[in-house]
Amino acid sequence: VTYKWLSYTLGVHVNQAKQMLYEYVERKRKENSGAQLHVTYLVAGNLPQNGHMCHKVAVVREDKLEAMKSKLSTIASVHVYSIQKALLKDSSPLYNTDYDIVKTNLHNCSKFSAIHCDAAVPRMPPDIPRAQTSLQGSSQRENETDAPSAPAVNGHGLPAAKHPSQQHKGIMGMFAAKAASKPQDTNKETKAEAPGVSTASSKPPTKNNIINNFFGKAAMNKLKISPAPEQPKEEKEVVKPTVAVAEPESSPNPVVEKPGKRTESAKIQQKDRKSKMKRVDRSDNEEERDPENAKRKRKRIKQLESDSSDEEDVPPPPTPEEEKALSPPPVSALKTELEPAAMEVSVGGRKRKRKRVLKSKMFIDEEEGCM
Amino acid sequence: MFSERAAPAAQGLLGPPSAEPPTFPRVPVLGYSDCSGPFRPGERSFGRQYAHVYAVRLAGMRPPLERRARGRWGNDVVLRKLSELQAGEKCCVVGTLFKAMQLQPSILQEISEEHNLVPQPPLPKYIQPSDELILEDELQRIKLEGAINVQRLVTGTILAVYGSEQDDGRFLVEDHCFADLPPPLPWNGPSSDRFVLLASGLGLGSGSGEALLSTQLLVDVVTGQLGAEGEQSCAAHISRVILAGNLLSQNTQSRDTINKAKYLTKKTQAASVEAVKMLDEILLQLCTSVPVDVMPGEFDPTNYTLPQQPLHRCMLPLSSPYTTLHLVTNPYQANLDGVRFLGTSGQNVSDIFKYSSMDDYLEILEWTLLAGHISPTAPDTLGCYPFYKSDPFILTECPHVYFCGNAPRFQSKLLQGAEGQRVLLVTVPDFSTTQTACLVNLRDLTCQPITFSSFGAEDED
Repeated sequence: VTYKWLSYTLGVHVNQAKQMLYEYVERKRKENSGAQLHVTYLVAGNLPQNGHMCHKVAVVREDKLEAMKSKLSTIASVHVYSIQKALLKDSSPLYNTDYDIVKTNLHNCSKFSAIHCDAAVPRMPPDIPRAQTSLQGSSQRENETDAPSAPAVNGHGLPAAKHPSQQHKGIMGMFAAKAASKPQDTNKETKAEAPGVSTASSKPPTKNNIINNFFGKAAMNKLKISPAPEQPKEEKEVVKPTVAVAEPESSPNPVVEKPGKRTESAKIQQKDRKSKMKRVDRSDNEEERDPENAKRKRKRIKQLESDSSDEEDVPPPPTPEEEKALSPPPVSALKTELEPAAMEVSVGGRKRKRKRVLKSKMFIDEEEGCM
Repeated sequence: MFSERAAPAAQGLLGPPSAEPPTFPRVPVLGYSDCSGPFRPGERSFGRQYAHVYAVRLAGMRPPLERRARGRWGNDVVLRKLSELQAGEKCCVVGTLFKAMQLQPSILQEISEEHNLVPQPPLPKYIQPSDELILEDELQRIKLEGAINVQRLVTGTILAVYGSEQDDGRFLVEDHCFADLPPPLPWNGPSSDRFVLLASGLGLGSGSGEALLSTQLLVDVVTGQLGAEGEQSCAAHISRVILAGNLLSQNTQSRDTINKAKYLTKKTQAASVEAVKMLDEILLQLCTSVPVDVMPGEFDPTNYTLPQQPLHRCMLPLSSPYTTLHLVTNPYQANLDGVRFLGTSGQNVSDIFKYSSMDDYLEILEWTLLAGHISPTAPDTLGCYPFYKSDPFILTECPHVYFCGNAPRFQSKLLQGAEGQRVLLVTVPDFSTTQTACLVNLRDLTCQPITFSSFGAEDED
């Protein structure tokens, strides 16, 4: 147990973690409980070496502590570094513990640190390839200001951060990325179901990733506005993508997707607008899944729009697109959540706007289909 | 300096948890401007000959050298070009040095069939007593002899020699001088303590775990997680971290891909991929807390020729969104809080080390400053871009901090110049072997090394 591990696990300031460790050691030693605790300390100070005053920072075992302290001419700090039951031969277990805990919390690694840097905010560049990072950045800032639930947020932060590196591969790469990251997302989500806000706030960035790929710059402005008003609406929608993605990944069948979609739709039907969304959802779903068969899908979509029944769950074209099949349900689900929400933000001409957006989507799809 | 400030609160963390531990805000960057514009070539055409580099170098350094020569040997000293030399006349000539070395690895010798030579193994030093110095200017060359230290000088230096031509066609040197320190820059340094951490040679991907904990300790100290409150508040005064090259270790330069057939190496991943991922994580931890400048080095995935271009942003996906991460060129020049920094990742100094009798990295560093050129050996033995308009390695202004990375050990010196220049020379040691980094205090231009250590299987420290 190192102070850093304790700090991240308990969510406390690093100094408090160090003090906690010290107090634990003191108490245990006073009790003489019999279990031998081995403590390592961190000593820092000035050491005359080769003619200069070298500032030395060292991790030492307890038995070497006094020897090291006497070597240093001025001691800058001493604190407990870690406690373990067994005697450590070398410091690699300490490093491994720290490495693992930092890796799982990479995006919040300075949260419990004693120094806070105002300048360290992720940037928001204007162009598309880095748009994902910008939206993630803004969502991260939102995360920081929200009630911090560190583990859940970090889990999202990590897959979200992986997206920019994969965006360049294009749609296929993006789907693969979504498929890979989605299980991670769901794991964290199922673990931390309660803090809906924090999970929801990380949803906009992942949605925006997909949407950016399809919409291009035109829709960017809309999307940037949308994350903010969407947060309160999405608490219930969080469950939907969870369910959708929880399908077994190995069988990307339309059959599997159907029950997924049905459960989605069941939950959606709580509200009117959500049922409309679902329609759009399915249309999006089909559009995304098969750009080549865009024409076929477009006809179905138009039929869907005119209908209002849930059973119009048209089976998607049985094209063997394994990677895509995984991601379309969550992708489309997420996309449509943003979509109608964005549309509803604008006051008048709701239906008109929806159709406009859909047409533009289809236009892009057709473009991609032609490509 | 660093430690004394921290001492009072040293034992504070050996006690029960206190109510709310303080968080220290990082000192904001007062002023930062990147001055490494000249090190980024606009166009990248390699169609030109390298001779142009020497021509522009000579043209660029001739005026200050002539001024210096007049100042040293009198205003009426005769300045001549080599073509105008008259035998026996004492005059001063400005030109480029060329050192003819027998041991110098030459590609022509290697492929020469009649010799059937095996390629020469790399030696630590290529100097020999039989080396000769030749002075060249735009049109002619002449052999030098006399009061000039042949062993110490390297090819590519521009200097002025004072002497006379002998009958046998050699030039007898009586005295020589370099461009000396360039004109000083105004000092706008901060009034309070501000530190810049210089580290180099992180050597990730080397497969040795010993340095990894030290690297983690370094990151922890800078981000403020390590140390008692006093030390953390001191660490908050570190306004910048500069990583001067060799972030990946030499082991990542796997030669397999070159020697083996393609079908054998297809599935294996280059060792540098894993190392770059590790680097990204470390940079992310640093970037969330402090502005970082990353300079590429000899073993880093960027171009080989100097000036090395910055590492590409897409290699560091986790940390590149942060505005605090700056990927910069290899000779790096910047104004940090009013203090001008200039430094390299050490390739220039180690190259001069190989071809000169100077052994001390600090001495070499000082000599390059006095010679007015960052890397005189550049096109000859060190890879360089074929400049033809101007040579960006000529020192036109005197920096306040001049550093080189990947030195064998830490050294620093404050150099005072005749025109009031104050330069702090720092040789930043290789972190993977020495676990030492440098803390430069910007207020008074002092430097302190900071070492990290952990305990290993053996008993002694």
